[in-house]
Amino acid sequence: MSKITIYTTPTCVYCKATKAFFKENNVSYEERDVSVDAKARDEMIAKSNQMGVPVIDIDGQIVTGFDKARLQALIGIK
Amino acid sequence: MIYDLIIIGSGAAGLSAGIYSGRYRMKIAIFAGEFGGETAKAGAIENYPGFKSIDGYELMEKMRDQAKDLGAEFIDEKVTAIKRDGHCFELSAGDKTYQANAIILAVGAERKHLGLPNEKELTGRGVHYCVTCDGPVYSGKTIAMVGGGDASVKGVNLAAEYVKKVYLIVRGKEVIAEPINDEQLKKLGDKVEVLLETEVKEIVGKEKLEKLVLSKPYHNSADLIVDGVFVEIGAEPSVELAKSLGVDLDEYGYVKADNMMRTNIDGVFAAGDIVNHFGRFKQDITAAAMGAVAATSAYEDHKIHGDLCMLHAIPPMQSKIEVK
Repeated sequence: MSKITIYTTPTCVYCKATKAFFKENNVSYEERDVSVDAKARDEMIAKSNQMGVPVIDIDGQIVTGFDKARLQALIGIK
Repeated sequence: MIYDLIIIGSGAAGLSAGIYSGRYRMKIAIFAGEFGGETAKAGAIENYPGFKSIDGYELMEKMRDQAKDLGAEFIDEKVTAIKRDGHCFELSAGDKTYQANAIILAVGAERKHLGLPNEKELTGRGVHYCVTCDGPVYSGKTIAMVGGGDASVKGVNLAAEYVKKVYLIVRGKEVIAEPINDEQLKKLGDKVEVLLETEVKEIVGKEKLEKLVLSKPYHNSADLIVDGVFVEIGAEPSVELAKSLGVDLDEYGYVKADNMMRTNIDGVFAAGDIVNHFGRFKQDITAAAMGAVAATSAYEDHKIHGDLCMLHAIPPMQSKIEVK
């Protein structure tokens, strides 16, 4: 099973949409709120080279924004 | 399958249309596009009757669930083209086509950009358009908000919960916001500085935003050093599909609709931010009202033209037999 980390903020609509997508597909993930966790924020910027959320790390593959098609391809779901 | 009605857009207008047309027992599909439209990105909604305060995304989920319970089918694709044959419509989305007797265009509006060099390259690297999404990323940092309307003031109020300092850059002579939002802005005190009659002339940075260059000096310098800038300068109606159908636009580029949300094209209705019925007053309550009216007009239309598309859609020979 893929190791998935999602970097979020509490009010971000695309983060909510991404989490809803994971939930619908029974995909488990670790969530890190970058508004309160400076270490997570630095980690997110280092991985993605940008300041927009969500950033999703799937086994080292980085997805920025709620890119459903890419998430489906990386996780292997239809 | 031929739908009685296809609604394009899943913001407050599209979902409200879905609820009403579901109650009219029409066979409907809603092409969600970016789910929830602008409302989903708006943060806390505190002026939608019945909810003292509700997150915009949650409000849209509630509307979606209500429409689903009434039979609306949600299709998670973007409509890329619509063909019209009399009162029949064929929509292309993904790699499929869908047929309908009537269409409600509720596709909303696209946020305006500043149109400056570097803006695109630095998007997500200091330049942002969604403060509810990315504002909290700037926790403890300094940002600028561009725009003098209610959305930018709401944005400042939200971002101020996280950031160290906000510069509100306003082109006009005053900030025009809902008084309750304006009150909240004033309570933020020194955390917010409002720069009136000021524009952003340049966005400077290589890997990330380094500074803004302003049209007039602030503290003797046109350079404003910020970690991030959020652009909230309004939106332009998304009228490409409408134009492809021959729908008339008004002088401001919005879809022209009568007071029953009918366009000049038979079977095509419009609702929400692509229509300019309430001028700059674009709210969930006005969008939802337009959606309800558009659905009602589509229903009235369906009662007259409901079977026409089916006759069109069957093969010509069979069509002849059926008509006889």
